[in-house]
Amino acid sequence: MSNAIIKTQNLCKQYGSGATLVQALRGVDLEIERGSFTCIIGPSGHGKSTLMHLLGGLDQPSGGSVAIDGQEISSLSGKDLAALRACKIGFVFQFFNLLQSLTATENIEVALMLAGVPDALQQERARELLKLVGLSDKAGAKPGQLSGGQQQRVAIARALANDPPVLLMDEPTGNLDSAAEAEVMAVLEELNRGGKTLILVTHSNEIAARAGNLIRVRDGLIEQNPALDQQLKKIA
Amino acid sequence: MTPNKLVFKNITRRRGRFIFTLLGIVIGMASFVTFMALGGSLKSEIERESAALGANLVVTPKGSCAYEQVSILTGEQLPTTITAEEVASIRAIEGIQAIPYLAERSAIDSRPVSVMGILPAETKEFKGWQITAGAYFPTENADGAVLGSVLAEQFKLLPGSEVRIRGTMIPVLGVLEETGGKDDLTVFLSMPVAQQLYKQQDRVSYVAVRVDKIEEVDLYALKIKDQVSLGVVSDKQMLNSVLGIVGTVNMTLQLIAAVAILAAAFGIVNTMMTATYERKREIGILQAMGAARSTIFKLFMLESAIYGLLGGIGGALLGLAGSHFAAPYISQNAATSFVKGAQSSIDPLMLLGAVLFSTLVAIVSGLYPAWKAAKLSPVEAISYE
Ligand SMILES: Nc1ncnc2c1ncn2[C@@H]1O[C@H](COP(=O)(O)OP(=O)(O)OP(=O)(O)O)[C@@H](O)[C@H]1O
Ligand SMILES: [Mg+2]
Repeated sequence: MSNAIIKTQNLCKQYGSGATLVQALRGVDLEIERGSFTCIIGPSGHGKSTLMHLLGGLDQPSGGSVAIDGQEISSLSGKDLAALRACKIGFVFQFFNLLQSLTATENIEVALMLAGVPDALQQERARELLKLVGLSDKAGAKPGQLSGGQQQRVAIARALANDPPVLLMDEPTGNLDSAAEAEVMAVLEELNRGGKTLILVTHSNEIAARAGNLIRVRDGLIEQNPALDQQLKKIA
Repeated sequence: MTPNKLVFKNITRRRGRFIFTLLGIVIGMASFVTFMALGGSLKSEIERESAALGANLVVTPKGSCAYEQVSILTGEQLPTTITAEEVASIRAIEGIQAIPYLAERSAIDSRPVSVMGILPAETKEFKGWQITAGAYFPTENADGAVLGSVLAEQFKLLPGSEVRIRGTMIPVLGVLEETGGKDDLTVFLSMPVAQQLYKQQDRVSYVAVRVDKIEEVDLYALKIKDQVSLGVVSDKQMLNSVLGIVGTVNMTLQLIAAVAILAAAFGIVNTMMTATYERKREIGILQAMGAARSTIFKLFMLESAIYGLLGGIGGALLGLAGSHFAAPYISQNAATSFVKGAQSSIDPLMLLGAVLFSTLVAIVSGLYPAWKAAKLSPVEAISYE
């Protein structure tokens, strides 16, 4: 087996049928290396989020295949796929990631609960994770009492709860100002140095410039554009 | 975090909605428990009164219906159309013991009480009464009253004091030992005194008959009908028809309670549906975090089951209190006047049953919303804003 943690072959996804049929992905082949930092970029509505959902096993493809850590997801039952998400993938979305009625600590504890960690061990782990994202002093705060950047850092801490090999993020800094974005990126880069595989959908060239790999999605397909890649590298 | 804790945090996040939904089921269950308790005590009281009557046959005015039969058991006022001659001809029949009663009502301290005219010596023997304080009627037409024990205690009447019946002060002679039935709440007068007081000269309300040979009870019923043109019912017939009425009343009350519970069940459905819409995105987040559909389903089911459990407990307690406090008020009505110690008929098993029932109702109510929540696809739920 190769060093790929996620691998797709001729991945297709369509929504709707008949007149409303949308071909969101039209045959995507890619490999994500273990420990890499990959950015998915491309114009709005061209299939970035769709691709991310499929890479994380949040949805089933209409055609082709996705293998996560060697597991073909179409062969898994809903229950097994959920278990795979709990252990192998940490998701962070653009906004409203947190369960609103729970504190920062409790949000992390829910992720641990879903992976089967006993109640007694959860609090200690949650404390470690909040420390990791620099929010030890916000353990008892509810999402409404946190800034946008702090909320995203809690979401990252929660995504890390079960120490998944892969973090999948859909515009995690899309809603943040540049200072908050810098806070979040600092945390992410530190994680990547520690060996986590990061996959990040973004519209920001600055962020894309820092990634090791770029995946350009256009019209449901992956586009190679070495010239643009070079341009981006210069920004960095 | 445990599923229970998570559910508890979720259920209380909209405090107003939580409380109002809960109140719905509490009220529904409370009415159910109250009606069950009252109905249960009604039935057992009726059976007890029927036994306390001590008669195999009851002679009633011609054409009397079930309502009058209830009244005999409750001590309500009855038409007094049976004449002294008719009583005499019944009493002349060999092989039976026939005791006439004049059933009237009066009020002490503006609370209604039964007043009974009786044949002192015969009734005492017929009912097996004992005296606990003072003395019994010395003669068949003695002036004075003998009181049931509960009534004497309730109105603080002791032998030697006086009680006002129909505007006349009557000396209290004695107090009966507790019987556990409506006799405890009755003022007894000797027949002549009662007849004079209520201007019912030579008339009585009904005649209780005990036959010496129980197997010949039907024969004696015919014999009495031969002698007088009056209605004769056996104690069993009377019991059946009275229980029939009470059963109908009970059924109606329980039907009302069932409607209340049904309304409360829809309240739960409504609240849970709203919760699934409100938390649509959170459901997606939970799924992304690795919650299987079955987990989502369980979380929502648990949430609605809590409504049933808390509502059942609250309803049982409120129903207990309700039947306790409501009993004295509804006892002014003939059909329900048996209810004195309603708590006596509430058994813990029934309360447990009520809690289980309400939990079951809530679980059934939660099925559809929980299914809707679990059916959401993660991507759809996450895309929801
Ligand atoms: N649930 C859905 N039902 C129908 N069509 C959908 C659904 N989700 C996405 N699409 C369509 O699929 C295409 C790709 O959508 P996707 O969300 O992946 O785009 P995106 O690249 O993430 O865009 P953005 O940068 O704006 O987030 C779009 O045309 C979109 O309208
Ligand atoms: Mg998107």
